[in-house]
Amino acid sequence: MSQSHAQGGGNEDVLSIRELKLKFHTYAGEVSALDGISLSIKKGELLGLVGESGCGKSVTALAIAGLLPQNAEITNGDVILDGKNMLTLEPEEMRLARLKDIAMIFQDPMTYLNPVFTIGSQMVEITQAEPKLFVSTLVAHRLRQIDKEAKGGEQGPKLLAERENLAESLRTQRLGRRELNELTKSYSISLLRSVRLPEPEKVFEMYPFELSGGMRQRVMIAMAMMRRPKLLLADEITTALDVTVQAQILHLMKELRSEINSSVLLITHDLAIVSEVCDRVAVMYAGNIVEIADVQELFRNPLHPYTKGLLASVPRADVDKIPDSIEGSVPDLLFPPGGCRFNPRCPKAFDVCPSKKPSLIEAVPNHYVSCFLYGG
Amino acid sequence: MVFVLFALSVLIFFLTRGLLPPTTALAPYINPRLTDAGKLSIARAVGVATSSCASFSDFAALRSGCVTPLWTQYFYWLKNVLVGNWGYTLLPGISGTQTTWSVFFGRFPYTAELDIVAAALTFIIGVPLGIISATRNNKVPDHISRIVSLGGYSIPQFWFGAMLLIVFVLYFRVGGLGLLPASGALGTTCALCFGQSQVGTITSYTGVPLLDSLFSLNIPYFWDSVVALILPALTLAITSLGLLTRIVRSNMMEVLRQDYITMAKSKGLKERVVTYKHALRNAILPAITVAGLLVTYLIGGSVIVEIVFSWPGVGSAALVAADVLDINFLELFVLVAGVIIVVTNLVVDILYAVLDPRIRF
Amino acid sequence: MSQTENPPAKIRGQHSDFRYALHLLRQNPIVMAGLVISVATVLLALFSNVLVNGAYWHQQNLNLRLCWNNPDFGWPVTNMFNCGGSVYPIGTDAYGRNLLDMIVLAIPIDLQIALEVVASAVVIGVVFGSLAAYMGGLVDEIILRITDIFLAVPWILLAIVLIVVLGRSLTTLTVAVIITWWPWYVRLMRSQVIGEKEKLYVERLRMVGAGWPRILFRHIIPNSIYPILVQSTLDIGSVILTVSALTFIGLTPNPLLPELGNLSNQGIQYFFTAPWLITFPGLTILIISLGFNLLGDGIRDIFDPRLRR
Repeated sequence: MSQSHAQGGGNEDVLSIRELKLKFHTYAGEVSALDGISLSIKKGELLGLVGESGCGKSVTALAIAGLLPQNAEITNGDVILDGKNMLTLEPEEMRLARLKDIAMIFQDPMTYLNPVFTIGSQMVEITQAEPKLFVSTLVAHRLRQIDKEAKGGEQGPKLLAERENLAESLRTQRLGRRELNELTKSYSISLLRSVRLPEPEKVFEMYPFELSGGMRQRVMIAMAMMRRPKLLLADEITTALDVTVQAQILHLMKELRSEINSSVLLITHDLAIVSEVCDRVAVMYAGNIVEIADVQELFRNPLHPYTKGLLASVPRADVDKIPDSIEGSVPDLLFPPGGCRFNPRCPKAFDVCPSKKPSLIEAVPNHYVSCFLYGG
Repeated sequence: MVFVLFALSVLIFFLTRGLLPPTTALAPYINPRLTDAGKLSIARAVGVATSSCASFSDFAALRSGCVTPLWTQYFYWLKNVLVGNWGYTLLPGISGTQTTWSVFFGRFPYTAELDIVAAALTFIIGVPLGIISATRNNKVPDHISRIVSLGGYSIPQFWFGAMLLIVFVLYFRVGGLGLLPASGALGTTCALCFGQSQVGTITSYTGVPLLDSLFSLNIPYFWDSVVALILPALTLAITSLGLLTRIVRSNMMEVLRQDYITMAKSKGLKERVVTYKHALRNAILPAITVAGLLVTYLIGGSVIVEIVFSWPGVGSAALVAADVLDINFLELFVLVAGVIIVVTNLVVDILYAVLDPRIRF
Repeated sequence: MSQTENPPAKIRGQHSDFRYALHLLRQNPIVMAGLVISVATVLLALFSNVLVNGAYWHQQNLNLRLCWNNPDFGWPVTNMFNCGGSVYPIGTDAYGRNLLDMIVLAIPIDLQIALEVVASAVVIGVVFGSLAAYMGGLVDEIILRITDIFLAVPWILLAIVLIVVLGRSLTTLTVAVIITWWPWYVRLMRSQVIGEKEKLYVERLRMVGAGWPRILFRHIIPNSIYPILVQSTLDIGSVILTVSALTFIGLTPNPLLPELGNLSNQGIQYFFTAPWLITFPGLTILIISLGFNLLGDGIRDIFDPRLRR
């Protein structure tokens, strides 16, 4: 599967991050959250971003979407999405990018949905934010619906009139407010149906607290799908769910990804999910990308000592021993270790490791690693 | 809720009748020109003197056996309250000629007018101030807004009113008259007023000058009433909005840190929508719980403001009542205030349940 | 950054509250101003007798009443009585006394009343609030309902009734203000103790067999009293506002008494002839209460766990 996507979707990068450095100004000092990371995602590719909590995965996603908190400062690097440098955009352009190009799905759908508004109103407001961008999609969808209805019987005069209205709106690229709301409502309901929510018309009128965790997560996915984004950022979307629901959500994501052909950055700390779903994987540690490879290649041939340690620490049903853990603990990013940040815990560290930072090099074709063991 | 009012009446009653001689309690009900026998029979009817009491002078001397026990007095008193019998007013100038009830409710519309307008101003100024403070946290607008709301909370109400008077009546003068009127509910001598001669009269439907003048289609009267209302209402509002602003600010700040705000931004919604639709809706809900507190503060504040501006409401009368020991007037005031506050709290509770979908289920 | 195996011991692990507090304080010049004003007020109160003779307010100089002769500032009033010889920086009051001296004498009196009120309210609040919270059940209900009743009345009405009934004196004034203030403290203490008594150490004490008075007085109260103390210090400003409001409307024991509300009462009576009489005492009240309130606001922000980063 990974091969077909790497070759099938075209070779351009949808997202390209180059040497991104980011720090937070806190009352205790400066936290160096991202230390020059670089990664790229091709069109239609599903890239997994793995690492322990606090290693900077979520921060990366927030940086891409322009949702960093006020005390964050980007000191270096570029974030290029489809040719545009996200970091140099005006706030209004950034907002439009968040509307149409990037969609983000978060970890805990309970806290990420506004409790006092219905699901429906939180979906309708998306198209209300910038109706122009959605006219074509909405009209096309409604026309398809009308066709389906028409197949059943005669094309009554009401339907014909509606067809004409829609064609007119399509031509002028404008929709009246009521029309916008109605079209969005029917579009939303069919999206809710496509994410396998039962009784989507009812869900549309419900409040977030009336739904289960898995259902809320599906709603979030539906909200993302509505925008048909170029890049989908999924931040630990299954962490708060049961294992069975996890599997369903991941399955759903894969289906939808192929339907609208968006690229996905899947952030997780769970290697099992990565092996299930991703095409490529990037491993992150303490604000650095330490390894990037195709999924199968990574699991077969991990290069970086941290990756090896991660893989060895996963409990396995077929081997009768307690998994190894990596010695030591994640560094405090207020005072990060010098040189390679993994060196204090690395079983293979040698003299150059504490003094210089290794760069990401292609040790094996299409397999990048940031470690002095392989040069760099 | 009814319990609170009931208990309040008990508290007030025992506080006053328990510590003052029964002759004081009796004063509103008797005409000093009555004979002693007449006074005694009224004393019995009101429940302060026992039937076995020999004469009025015995009663006045508090001879034992002459004064009914306090609890019995309370029940007579409660009975009178519930039928609206509060005796005759002791206020100087009209003592004995009008009932306490009619004097109170004759003046009450003026206080109500002042308080309601002040409440509206409090919201109109206070809520946006709180929002701005939260969205521009720790920048200049925040600092200004915090000073204003905190200042409002720290300013002596009488002083603020007096300062407004100095500025708009003493300093800004046009043609020998101050810009705004210095006293009363109807501007008589001020530069912006129509004045006594032009104003005419109105028929009294509600007792509230603003409404009555509108219903009577008397625009100059309406205008002069508005002009007279400006300074006192502003005084009340600015000194009361501190609490509201502070609550809105802290609620907004907490709400803006919530995950669903990040989500709303990530959907590409406009800043304005995020703040006023998503954030405000969640922040304003807990803020309405201070409505009861605000009402309490407004009623209390109007006592002071009415004195400063010589406003013909119940607040300024309360002080005169205190001087002449017209307890009934004060008790009536306390109970009416209690009713208003309790009802406000009830309305707020209902409103909260209606607006928060999580509670409805 | 250089190789750091051992970060400075102070910062390692939990980043200290105090450092965070200082950081916020630096960010907030307004709170600093509040601190300065509050301290200055207390100092002024302590040294007032050094600045002005304590018995000054008893004399009356009726031929100097309501006069203003400060050459730098004028008032838009038509009759300003003449002051004769010495310059009075902010004029004289209705009894011919130097207004500035009167204000200096008034500050310690107001501050003292405020301290008495606050201390009493704290004691009442601590006792009844912790009893209500710890006992729970009927005791709690009763105490809570009583506070409800008191809070259902605008404070000034209650105070007026009390003073009418009890007569006018400094004591009754103090009592009246205490009566309007205590319900807040009861509720505050109650909510603190409710939170505190659920903590693990209380259960452990009970298991070891400690009696409830010991648990309550030696453990729970000292641990939960901190916010009350903070609140009380900061209410000092508001209490001065309250007291001066009451004397302003005329419920004072002695119209000659140097008290800020008292002076303002004269001020509103003679408003059109001597506007300085209400301006300066009122301004003093404003500054003092602003100082304490700013300080309080800032401290509350610093220690509010919800607003912390």
